Amino acid sequence: MLQGALAGLAAGGLYAVLAVCLTLMSRLVRVVNFAQSATGMFGCYVAVFLSVHAGLPTWLATVVGIVLGGLLSALLGWIVSTWLAEADTGTRSAVTVAVLLLLISLSFILFGNKPQPFHPILDGPAVTVGGVVISQVTVVTVALAVLVAVASRIVLSRTPAGVRLRALSERPTTAELLGIPAKRLSVAVWAVTGVVSTLVISIVAPSQSNDATSLAMLVVPAAAAALLGGFRRLDLAVAGGLGLGLIQGAAAQVDGLSVVRYFLPFAVIVALLLWSQRKEVWDAAR
Amino acid sequence: MKPARRLVALAAVVLLATAGCAGSESGSSGPIVVGSVNALSGAATFPEASQAAKAVFDAANASGGVNGRQIQYKALDDKGDPAAAAAAAREVVGRDEAVALVGSSSLIECEINNKYYEQQKILSMQGIGVDPACFSSPNIAPVNVGPYHDMTLTLLYGSETLKLNDICALLEIAGNTLPSYQAAIDEWSAITGKKLRYLDATVPYGGSDYTSYIVKARNAGCKAITVNPVEPDSIGQLKAAAAQGWNDVTWLLLTSVYSENYAKAITNAGAGVYVPAEFYPFTDTTSPQNKDWRELMTKNNIPLTSFSQGGYLAAKYFLDVIRGIQGDITRESVTKALREMKPITDPMVGTPYVFGPGQTHHDNTAGWPIKLTSGTNKWELAADDWLRIPKK
Repeated sequence: MLQGALAGLAAGGLYAVLAVCLTLMSRLVRVVNFAQSATGMFGCYVAVFLSVHAGLPTWLATVVGIVLGGLLSALLGWIVSTWLAEADTGTRSAVTVAVLLLLISLSFILFGNKPQPFHPILDGPAVTVGGVVISQVTVVTVALAVLVAVASRIVLSRTPAGVRLRALSERPTTAELLGIPAKRLSVAVWAVTGVVSTLVISIVAPSQSNDATSLAMLVVPAAAAALLGGFRRLDLAVAGGLGLGLIQGAAAQVDGLSVVRYFLPFAVIVALLLWSQRKEVWDAAR
Repeated sequence: MKPARRLVALAAVVLLATAGCAGSESGSSGPIVVGSVNALSGAATFPEASQAAKAVFDAANASGGVNGRQIQYKALDDKGDPAAAAAAAREVVGRDEAVALVGSSSLIECEINNKYYEQQKILSMQGIGVDPACFSSPNIAPVNVGPYHDMTLTLLYGSETLKLNDICALLEIAGNTLPSYQAAIDEWSAITGKKLRYLDATVPYGGSDYTSYIVKARNAGCKAITVNPVEPDSIGQLKAAAAQGWNDVTWLLLTSVYSENYAKAITNAGAGVYVPAEFYPFTDTTSPQNKDWRELMTKNNIPLTSFSQGGYLAAKYFLDVIRGIQGDITRESVTKALREMKPITDPMVGTPYVFGPGQTHHDNTAGWPIKLTSGTNKWELAADDWLRIPKK
């Protein structure tokens, strides 16, 4: 059981990183970005294409892919903040669903629906704990999740840009009237989360199934993790991601539970929603 | 209008009408319509089987057709969707009045359409049969071995040739395939008297991270793992094992992972990936067995895969049979000829093909063992003859 749980940590770290990105997006630019992992997937696929067909060295292709993921995300951010600046969160988020589907289809059209020959950046075991090997990928994703959360926290609380961002998310109109460059800051947030999610998917993709759909759909467990922190708290998002990975890994070890394993993110989402809405009365909750 | 002109007009109308009639009935001078239902779009696609069948028919048409009649081949898309699969079958069988279905390859088509084919008294020579109904219906006889016999073969190879004990099975079950895989495993047990160490039938399709399944298998003491995976999943499973540093595990897989693409994606194959290829291995580029097929595929820019081998063979067998028909080529005469045909031997397969009168058609029982070892990134022959499931 414990061994299985530790085996789920790599996935947990990945969920946690994506959950942190989702939380940042929701807090700072009022969007639940369903295309969070799809932009990462697309960046990775371009990287693989460059390394396999254009003969770039793996590291350079990966860097190009990560930059592209950031640019894609920034472009999406620019579109949303230009035409949907005043729209509510639901509408802004709906746009990202369209982008998610678009990117999956586009990658099928451009790269086919066969898995890609990713070259691993990190490969093999790092340490052995109680008979379970902790792979290098696990160590890096978990570290990255914590690092991104801590860095975001510091930026938001200690730097002028962070203070402006918070102002913008709390009172967008007031902030704009005070002369805070709303659009530039928003696009920057989109770009940063795009880079981070492409980076983490680049690390993980070579070590697991990497067809376009399964990579793009990583946003579901990530959303479940982000929901634990109510799309507001970074620390809970990290804990949620790691916890979900651990539970999934442990569930796979028990025959009776392994069927449930893939519905876990959905079960978690439903349970958290029920819990968080428990005090709502019918009329108010509608 | 002058009377003469009226006559001309009338003649023209009559001519047009008769021409129209001639076009709509598949008389003994019109084209022979042959259909197929394929996964051309959707989650998993294999267009090569019908492309290969079409290439065979095009070549036959170019050299004069069959008894002076051209073959009109219609490959329809089932979109991986039951409703579309049913509609496609009705279009080609009902509306276009096909004489037979040849070279279909789909994940669901047999299950959806086998009853309809029985009603319509039409036979289907599946290029690549996948779902259990392909191998258990009176009117469908696939050309390929199929995943179930392939599972028996891969286990036989693992336990008898590689002498591996402690084989575990991780099955990805879609729809109603579990009993068929279980039967394949039971057949292996009946032949060898051996049992699996354990069987886990909860492995998901398209799972992102298979680490926990791999850890479980390793802890259970498995020396070899047999899986019925689709390509991306298998790559994920091998990578999960590599990340765990489990380098002495042998993989006993099925033809579904036999592709150049897969070989390129796998750098660490543990103690080796072994597959009983359903057709003579296409990666053996100089083989006389595949020479004609390879030339035809290369000429038509069709990918060299097991799927294109299946489609090619289905079309070839079909031509062989209908060339021997005395009299008119209709659905009835084609069905009768296939039911009464003599077995056809081909070096690309280990078992002669015969449609025959049986209620089920699961007779192809030979695979050619191939292997993929770490660091080579290419498939190699692992034997110099077919591996066969022993006759009971």
